[in-house]
Amino acid sequence: MPVKKTTQAAVAEPSRAKARKARFDLSPYMFILGFVVFCLLMLLYPVVYSLTLSFRQATVDTFVSGDMPFNGLTQYQAAIADPVFWRAVVNTVLFAFFSILFQFAIGFLLALLFQLNFPLKNFCLALLLIPWVLPVLTAANIFKGLFNDIGPINQILHLVGLGPFPWLADPTYAFPATIVANIWIGFPFNFILLYAGMRSIPIEVYEAAKIDGANFWKRVVHITLPLLKPVSAAVLMLGTIYTVKVFDLVFIMTGGGPANGTQLLSTYAYQVGFSLLNFGEAAAIATLLVLLVLVLNLLQLVLQRK
Amino acid sequence: MTTFAILPRWWITVAALTVTAILLSPFYWVLVGSFMTPTELFSGHIWPKHFALENWSVALSRLWPHIQNSLIVSAAASAGTLLITAPAAYGLVWRKPRGRQTLMVFTLMTQMLPAIVFVIPLFIVFTKINLVNTLFGLILADMTFTIPFALIMLSAYMKDLPYELVEAALVDGAGQLRAFLMIVLPMTLPGVITVGVFSFLIPWGDLIFALSLITDGGLQPLTLELYKAVGQYGIDWSFLLPGSVLTAVPAVLFVIVASRFIVAGVTRGAIK
Repeated sequence: MPVKKTTQAAVAEPSRAKARKARFDLSPYMFILGFVVFCLLMLLYPVVYSLTLSFRQATVDTFVSGDMPFNGLTQYQAAIADPVFWRAVVNTVLFAFFSILFQFAIGFLLALLFQLNFPLKNFCLALLLIPWVLPVLTAANIFKGLFNDIGPINQILHLVGLGPFPWLADPTYAFPATIVANIWIGFPFNFILLYAGMRSIPIEVYEAAKIDGANFWKRVVHITLPLLKPVSAAVLMLGTIYTVKVFDLVFIMTGGGPANGTQLLSTYAYQVGFSLLNFGEAAAIATLLVLLVLVLNLLQLVLQRK
Repeated sequence: MTTFAILPRWWITVAALTVTAILLSPFYWVLVGSFMTPTELFSGHIWPKHFALENWSVALSRLWPHIQNSLIVSAAASAGTLLITAPAAYGLVWRKPRGRQTLMVFTLMTQMLPAIVFVIPLFIVFTKINLVNTLFGLILADMTFTIPFALIMLSAYMKDLPYELVEAALVDGAGQLRAFLMIVLPMTLPGVITVGVFSFLIPWGDLIFALSLITDGGLQPLTLELYKAVGQYGIDWSFLLPGSVLTAVPAVLFVIVASRFIVAGVTRGAIK
């Protein structure tokens, strides 16, 4: 839209536009100066630093003495030789897959429900945003309590004759527990975007289908889903980016344990860096994590083409 | 006739409220649990027998210094973010500087990077230049999260400005800066405020930068103090739960006041 307007105005007033072009105008650069400086010093520099660090030996000794010699791919070799690394890769992918699957499903069903108009709709909508805006620390502590050995979840399961499960003490249970917590944090984001996306589908399309005798589910499958595809693609891509990056939630709930059962690449990189004080290898793991994000996003693009 | 038309709608409301209640039950648990004694908390009660207000008074007095740290860091990061990104978003969208595409793509790319990519270099560099264990260092670090995010969201708001208006202001002889301050800023104020609040909430909830850059107990923000309270002597739920609710206060207030702006802002930033 704005681009169109720009050209129209330029056509209407060609002389003025030309006059302004004639002398080099510094003012646009004054507006972005602060941002550019920040980008260079606080975004680009750390990223480049992290990348070069992954090719350097940066452990406690070299860190204190100040010189961190280059040693090629040693850090990467050390990282991929460790079975914990591969455990973290598998966990990261599974964590993202199941989180996104359920976040999207819940968000989609809620968005469908909210296409209807009903009293107190905006009230419910506002409340449903809460899990998403809550600080991750609050959400993590909530689920730490809910999944406590004697906590509400085991109590509810007890009512139907199940459990008790050692949720956060056993790797097989701790991993799904962290995923449940992450689904809770992420569903509102999926909900809002899908809700807005569905509202932009013209109502006439539905009415035409209704006249043709399509029932509710047929309309969802044949109209909502296909027309929602661009929005769903954006939601899934953003979901992947956010979920693969998750750190605080798992770090607070389990610290990556027990027995690396919930270890993600993000928590593993942090541990290697700040507990083992091997910053070079931590940077290498961080680089591999970035590669994983890129690969997963490319994979999504390819799948969506089909 | 009208009652028949309204009745089914109320049934939908009942259904929607039920779904909302189920989905929000974890939040209910922490709210109510923060008023329970440790023995009552895990005994299956859904309402406290008597409100254990001492949970809250203890938590508040212990956390007050850390709340202050969090307030300083979040307010400064938010102000700094707006100061840098509001002019930049306007400049990039309307004044067309060279290299703006590169800058936008770079900004979008940083959103893909996990925090650890910034945490390690900033820890090493800040150690060298004595910025670890300073609130200023933490503010700068938090801005690596808020600045790209704010720029992307504000650019979307700036694009919605009518071009004629910006152009007219400049033709009328208003300086570039005046046009920005007197016309662009007031017109994008809802967007600027929304982004400002988000830029407050992100540092407020940050743990990873605080954890790696602040070791001095007196400088720890709220999140770090609460994180460290766990595990030393087991979990003290009567402290942890009110603390967790306290941490959530700004975000929940924001949702209550501005849910409409949030929905508009989020969908705009993500879909456009």
